[in-house]
Amino acid sequence: MSTAFGSTRSNIGLHVGLMAMCLVIVLPPLWVLRTSLVPEPQAYSTSVMPGFTLDNYIALLTRNKFGVFYLNSVVVALGSVVVALPFAAMTGYAFARFRTGGRFARFLVLATQMLPPVALVLPTFAIFRATGLTNSVPGLILAYAAINLPFLTWILMGFFEGVPIDLEWAAMTDGATAWGAFWRIVVPVSLPGLAAAGVLGFILSWNEFLFALVLTGPSTQTIPVALASLQSSNGVQIAKVSAGVVLAVLPLVIASRFIQRFIVQGLTFGSVK
Amino acid sequence: MASIELRHVSKRYAPTVYGVRDVSLRIEDGEFIIFLGPSGCGKSTTLRMIAGLESVSDGEILIGGQAVNAIPPRDRNVAVVFQSYALYPHMSVAQNMAFGLKMRGTDPGLIRSKVDQAATLLGLTPYLDRKPAALSGGQRQRVALGRAIVRDPAAFLLDEPLSNLDAQLRGEMRLELVKLHRRLGRTIVHVTHDQVEAMTMGDRICIMRGGAMIQVGRPLEVYANPAETFVARFLATPPMNLMPAVLRGAGGDDLVVETGEGLALAVPSPYRSAYAAYRDKPVILGLRPEDFYEAPHASDWQPVPFTVVAVEALGAELVLVGQVGATGGVAPQKIAPPQEIAVRLSRHVVAEPGQMLTLSLDPNPMHLFDVETTRLIPRPAPGVPARRVA
Repeated sequence: MSTAFGSTRSNIGLHVGLMAMCLVIVLPPLWVLRTSLVPEPQAYSTSVMPGFTLDNYIALLTRNKFGVFYLNSVVVALGSVVVALPFAAMTGYAFARFRTGGRFARFLVLATQMLPPVALVLPTFAIFRATGLTNSVPGLILAYAAINLPFLTWILMGFFEGVPIDLEWAAMTDGATAWGAFWRIVVPVSLPGLAAAGVLGFILSWNEFLFALVLTGPSTQTIPVALASLQSSNGVQIAKVSAGVVLAVLPLVIASRFIQRFIVQGLTFGSVK
Repeated sequence: MASIELRHVSKRYAPTVYGVRDVSLRIEDGEFIIFLGPSGCGKSTTLRMIAGLESVSDGEILIGGQAVNAIPPRDRNVAVVFQSYALYPHMSVAQNMAFGLKMRGTDPGLIRSKVDQAATLLGLTPYLDRKPAALSGGQRQRVALGRAIVRDPAAFLLDEPLSNLDAQLRGEMRLELVKLHRRLGRTIVHVTHDQVEAMTMGDRICIMRGGAMIQVGRPLEVYANPAETFVARFLATPPMNLMPAVLRGAGGDDLVVETGEGLALAVPSPYRSAYAAYRDKPVILGLRPEDFYEAPHASDWQPVPFTVVAVEALGAELVLVGQVGATGGVAPQKIAPPQEIAVRLSRHVVAEPGQMLTLSLDPNPMHLFDVETTRLIPRPAPGVPARRVA
């Protein structure tokens, strides 16, 4: 009995500790959610819920054109993934299976990721201005695709290295070309990896601020730029900013749910033992 | 149907690092050949070179008389069954089996009938709509075979297809493969490290080690005349007992093999001239566990005192591990510390560790190997094969 009692006591202690840790992590986002639902004048109040309103969201979506910026962000993030993913898949597969460029080429691909973004944004701006791509959604899609490409290539390279080469060999002796083995066997088998890479690329593009700030204009802003613009010289409209943050985080919460599912899902099970 | 010929085939990974070295072999049309060897001996690499999945560094491979070094795998008309089965996980059993024919643009109706035929042959009809993940190991193995069969290739290349199966299923599939070979009559190259598969399935065995081909021959021929100590030990369980020994003269042409354990074995008269050159030289004596018996059955059989160290009762037979003592007449001479040997006896023998037995040894199947090269010292074949009498 004493053992059972002791274990119950230690369980309670463990759970209290875990709850305290959870509060440390969850409290800030919860406070942001609470602030987004409180009228602006009471936003800094210390009481938990001094009032309730949806005005902050309505104002954001109507007066501040957040709907447009939201759409821009969705189009840019999705577009950049759609453009980058096929190239990343082919490059990652080439690195994983062939001696393409050796190790040097693998690291060369990552070179752009090693530079601070600010070192890249100005040359990019110069190129975009010369080609008329500034202040345009397709321009930003291209820029983000270029930023995502090395990152997605590396993720997919790791994934393809985990696909048993026997599958491709089987396809090639069955009559497929190397491309056919990639397209008909490797791509379907790697769908969870491709989906995970796609979601990660989406998150990367969705959160990007610097390139969006420099390359977009008033009508092509994305959510991070629009959020920043809520901080005016007259001060920060904290309730509106909070509502904007909640809106901005929403797709990421959904995306992270997907990424978990895809990464955990092992489609290759059963193909080889 | 096609013969396969390897002419001085090598696979180099670096200028001096060989995966396969100078392998030459002709596999006849319709032959079932086994590539046998330990892990890393180059047998799977050789198979992959035949399939076109690995490039050939030197030499030439011919399938059906046609050089195929530059021909991609899809055009070689060979089917490979992998150790991992390599079933396409996103396709059903039927789609897996149909893939090869679909790739070749075969008529869908014909594909369906061929898949149905192969499924019936392999007992896969109830599983045609299932995905590989929903199949047992044995069923997956059958699907992999079915995928090869439906294409009706010139040759089947099997890369350790049974090694992932449990012992019972492996035994069943061994038999199935032999039957399949008889029914289809196609050339089969079967890679394995399992001696039982090698001995029971193939027309010929090709034994490999360190990328080189050591010996090729019919299973019983190789068993009876292993080219090297490596083959002698690798091809059986328990392996051949190898003992350091010295060949000494015993008056006239008579020769006696003396081991460190005090075993003094008179060399049978037909072998004397073959071994004469090794008189007073160190050799390696090779005795199979089954050449020891619990009682003599011929006058030239020799008594061997044997101290039991361990007993392995396998049901059908009894394997004893122990040490050999001195035989009468010849003084023991220390050549090496006593070593344990295995003997295979009838299941009716009762023995316990520590017990002293006097076994009978049939000296006729004995082998002597050169100490330097470890190669077999050639001798005439034994006149009368030993018969087991319970």
